[in-house]
Amino acid sequence: MSKGHEEMTCTAVREQLPMLLYGELSFDEEERVESHLDACTACRTALQREKAVQNAFHAVEIEPSASLLRECRQELHARLMDEETAPAARMSWWTQFTAMLAQHRAGMVLRPVGALTLIALGFLGARLTPGAFFSTGALGRGENQAMSLADPQTSRVRYVEPASGGRVQIVLDETRQRVISGQLDDVKIRSLLLAAAKDPSDPGLRAETVDILNTRAQSEDIRDVLIFALRHDQNAGVRLKAMEGLKPFAQEPAVRSALSQVLLSDANPGLRTQAIDLLTEGTNANQDRQIIGTLQELLQRGEQQGYVRERSRRLLEAMNASVETY
Amino acid sequence: MPLKSGVMMDETALIRAAQDGDHAAFEQLVQAYDQRVLRLAMNLLRSPEDARDVYQEAFLRVFRNLNSFRFDCSFHTWLYRIVTNLCLDHMRKRNVRKEESSVLTTTDGPMDRMDTVAEERADGDPQRHMFSGQVRKRIKEVMSELTPRERMVFELRHYQGLRLRRIGEILGTTEEAAKNCLFRATQKMRTGLGDFI
Repeated sequence: MSKGHEEMTCTAVREQLPMLLYGELSFDEEERVESHLDACTACRTALQREKAVQNAFHAVEIEPSASLLRECRQELHARLMDEETAPAARMSWWTQFTAMLAQHRAGMVLRPVGALTLIALGFLGARLTPGAFFSTGALGRGENQAMSLADPQTSRVRYVEPASGGRVQIVLDETRQRVISGQLDDVKIRSLLLAAAKDPSDPGLRAETVDILNTRAQSEDIRDVLIFALRHDQNAGVRLKAMEGLKPFAQEPAVRSALSQVLLSDANPGLRTQAIDLLTEGTNANQDRQIIGTLQELLQRGEQQGYVRERSRRLLEAMNASVETY
Repeated sequence: MPLKSGVMMDETALIRAAQDGDHAAFEQLVQAYDQRVLRLAMNLLRSPEDARDVYQEAFLRVFRNLNSFRFDCSFHTWLYRIVTNLCLDHMRKRNVRKEESSVLTTTDGPMDRMDTVAEERADGDPQRHMFSGQVRKRIKEVMSELTPRERMVFELRHYQGLRLRRIGEILGTTEEAAKNCLFRATQKMRTGLGDFI
């Protein structure tokens, strides 16, 4: 290879080296580069350097921690639940009904059903006043007994249809209670408890469930639920119970992250006091660095709660960390 | 994860089930991709808070718009269009604000906040230990000097291992344009690293 020719060809080849390593050259381009490399020691050296550079890039690649991924999934789950329930709660029954009919995939099937429902409602509207509908006088003795069994708290009318002789047939959906008992380690029992711990409708149920789950907080899936409750539960009592269960694991990164969130943003002073105590008990050097940032942020925000403010200030001073400037 | 149908589904069936309101199918779909999405956002934005925001916003958009997905492209491409747009928005805003969100001031001096929340890609990987903190710092600096598009193409090709053709589809451009972008990025990186490596 002549010197002038080599210089030009080498420049062109070296520009192609990253694409060669990424496998993004066409067959012909790759052939030309490879045959040059076979004959050119300098470009083979350049290729080695290019490989070293690409390997170096891998050294700064970040893999999200498992706890961050778990937290993201839990938060998404909660937001999807909100997404599912919030718009429906705001819509009138008529809007929901028409929206259901308008759904493109189900619409063709549901339209005739909707039409029949409207006819049935019209039929009832014409024949029965609200008083007459609920009047037992319109029903025979057997039906009277049936109606008394239909507790409005545990049943809802699924659909109605006219029957012969001016009678009405009503189909009820009934909620029936069932008692299940078993060990906490039983998978079914555990999955029911994990669901109950997030039941948005009943804080009392959540508090009792969290109390029970606290006895098994050494299990990671249960700890995840307790962390979720500590971070997101609307009820301070439930959050407090979750914190109690997490106390023995206060050195774990995921628990510390939740405690930091409580310290920085929970509205309940009692919870924030406990959070700062747990976060600062027996911390190691690495954790110290993390807690410093949290405490500084707290003071920067103008922490109003005296105990937390003073404790933060004293701890920062004890760790020789800046209190006034951030 | 138990689905309504009780059987394992391929992706198309999973998407159709999710479009029909099957939550378990949707969550299974999320979990097939979310680790990669989070990793992409973390590496691009180098801020766990921003990565978390992108994760939530991306999958909420998928949830809200899933019924409009018509299988004109792969689900992967559709999802990545959403994620890359969100990440590009974050990067552009950050460029405007000139914010160093990845750097924390600590008593030990400036520290990359990612080091406190992220796990290294491969513990015990000898490759990682070959590079001094200085080199890693320089690589991060050079990367931060790329334009958001160059950074994105580099991330998708180098770390996510996507082909340039797919990257072009995701970013709404041609394979050739993606290749030029990658070429510029690698040139800048090589020049920026100079004698470090």
